[in-house]
Amino acid sequence: MTQFLLQTIWLIPCYTIVGAIASIVWSPALIRRTGTRPAGYVNLGMTFLAFIHSLAAFPLAWQHPAQQLSVSWFQVAGLEFTLPLEISALTIGASLVVTGLNLLAQVYAIGYLEMDWGWSRFFALLALFEAGMCSLAFCNSLLFGYMILEILTLGTYLMVGTWFNQSLVVTGARDAFLTKRVGDLFLLMGVLAIYPLAGTWNFDELAQWAETATINPEIATLVGLALLAGPMGKCAQFPLHLWLDEAMEGPVPSTILRNSVVVATGAWVLIKLEPLLALSPVVLTTIITIGSLTAVGGTLIAIAQIDIKRSLSYSVSAYMGLVFIAVGTGQTDAALLLVLSHALAQALLVMSTGSIVLNSITQDLTQLGGLWSRRPISGLCYLVGVAGLISLPPFGGFWALLKLADGLWATQPWLVALLLLVNGLTAFSLMREFGLIFAGSPKPMTQRSPENFWLVTLPMMVLMGLTLHLPLILQSLALLPSWATLNQDMALLLIWSSLIGGGIGAVVYVGQGIPKPIQLPWQRLQTFFAFDLYTPQLYRSSIVFCVDWASRLTDWFDRKIIDGAVNLVGLVSLFSGEALKYSNSGQGQFYMLTITLGLAAIALSMSWSLVLQLMF
Amino acid sequence: MQLQYFLLVAAALFCIGVYGLVNSRNAVRVLMSIELMLNAVNLNLMAFSNYLDPQAIKGQIFTIFVIAIAAAEAAVGLAIVLAIYRNRDTVDMEQFNLLKW
Repeated sequence: MTQFLLQTIWLIPCYTIVGAIASIVWSPALIRRTGTRPAGYVNLGMTFLAFIHSLAAFPLAWQHPAQQLSVSWFQVAGLEFTLPLEISALTIGASLVVTGLNLLAQVYAIGYLEMDWGWSRFFALLALFEAGMCSLAFCNSLLFGYMILEILTLGTYLMVGTWFNQSLVVTGARDAFLTKRVGDLFLLMGVLAIYPLAGTWNFDELAQWAETATINPEIATLVGLALLAGPMGKCAQFPLHLWLDEAMEGPVPSTILRNSVVVATGAWVLIKLEPLLALSPVVLTTIITIGSLTAVGGTLIAIAQIDIKRSLSYSVSAYMGLVFIAVGTGQTDAALLLVLSHALAQALLVMSTGSIVLNSITQDLTQLGGLWSRRPISGLCYLVGVAGLISLPPFGGFWALLKLADGLWATQPWLVALLLLVNGLTAFSLMREFGLIFAGSPKPMTQRSPENFWLVTLPMMVLMGLTLHLPLILQSLALLPSWATLNQDMALLLIWSSLIGGGIGAVVYVGQGIPKPIQLPWQRLQTFFAFDLYTPQLYRSSIVFCVDWASRLTDWFDRKIIDGAVNLVGLVSLFSGEALKYSNSGQGQFYMLTITLGLAAIALSMSWSLVLQLMF
Repeated sequence: MQLQYFLLVAAALFCIGVYGLVNSRNAVRVLMSIELMLNAVNLNLMAFSNYLDPQAIKGQIFTIFVIAIAAAEAAVGLAIVLAIYRNRDTVDMEQFNLLKW
């Protein structure tokens, strides 16, 4: 039984694929009479099955060595494509998180999309995401990881573009696809370049190879940078971060999944690639730089947003930046812990704000307010999410950040200061959002805002329970760092940064002493962050401008020069026909002259040698 | 007297015929030029027959044929000229350029 459950672990992605295919049946084009709701129920059932399978398999794999499974895909010309699967506690745990969060997000979606007809498409895509992420968790090959990332990129495009009759959705889906695609294509370059060097795409073998590899440092740097670009786009890191902001146009239930796990797919690949990236110090420095910039920039932008969903999405970028820092300093365990705690807390935050948006319609923070007394559940869930995300003991985020800070202190102390800053700013940003939504007096949009019905509230509360229990779960799995060996000063510093950040946020926004909206004395700085560092303009004036003009120029060249050259041949023959027809003058005598001249010419050419002899 | 001189005279006569053929505006003069050219040919034939083939004199037989054919051709040519003249009231070659491009 034990072996059976572990050996059939590959079924986990398949369940949801079956659900995805099945839900197409209920699309409004096919079933015209009975509606699309069964699509949601079927997918929920399939996800539940996958969750139960993961849950049952997890204890069996716990504290057992990882098992390998491999499926031969195809062989061609000496190149063998096998899909290696790794069955270990870590991969099953990842699939447990994915399926669990997807289960909750689907229940939430059944409630949230009550008034929507597009269940079939929505749930099929959600199932595709789940299948993709589970297979990414199990798949132990860089090549197949890349393939799955690409499929997920397509999934993101379709998912963000769910309500495609809205113009902002269309542009958002476009940007999400193209930005992630660019990163993926660089990743493909890296994937292709690593094969001749290492001779394998298997993550384990790559790590083994990297231990003893002696390659040209420039090559290592270039390959490392290419491998870094994929996760950079996936994790919405600077400067490929705009897509996540625009992807907030998608439906909230998919946002739960995206903010918590989908962006973490990039981090997962990055963590797996850490031994390779460590070959080049330049790459590590780049990772840390990108992560630090994104972490600080993302939190500052998040503070300046007035849209609930966008404010949270920049927090996601910032936390993925922290994961980058963790990977850049070689702390993969801390990175994994951070991904886990961030996934639960962030999903809870998105669920809570989504539940506010569902009943208050507006997403504008300046139009919300005074919901605490009437929306206690959502408010509590939000607060627990905040506690789980920032460094507040005993919740999950604290342990992850503490582990990270502890590891950083020995090597790069300045990163600890950055961590404290990001933690404090995130606390401030989240408390600001809390204050604007729940504190103060009700605004016109929130005069009458009832708590949501059970389908929305139940998954939220279950997730709140999970977030609260995360430390206990980690402790029972012996994943928490022991208190004795940890740097307790560091813990105090982290707690202080959370308390100061959150405290200032609470004083400014929960307390009513300061008039809103708050204007900074430096208005330019405020708009600079509110418009996410003018990234759209930056894109439009750099990359988009260049590509646009290059394509216009190419198009012009194609139309005028290439087509023109070919058309010129036709024109020349047309023109020569038109011009040469005048040689048919209609004069009989002219024809006779032509005949005579022709004969004379032929005679001359035939007797040319004779003529030459006569002349000399 | 040598063969070449006959040939040169015949060639000169042929060239004069060609000049008249290409340059005349009067259709009858064109026919006359054709006659000149045919006579140049006849001269050639006669000269070759005399100098190169004095026994069988095939050239002279050819010449008789050419004269006969030239007479018939001139008759048909004049008939054509008359036919055109009836329709168009002129024998100017420059007026007969209807069949162009």
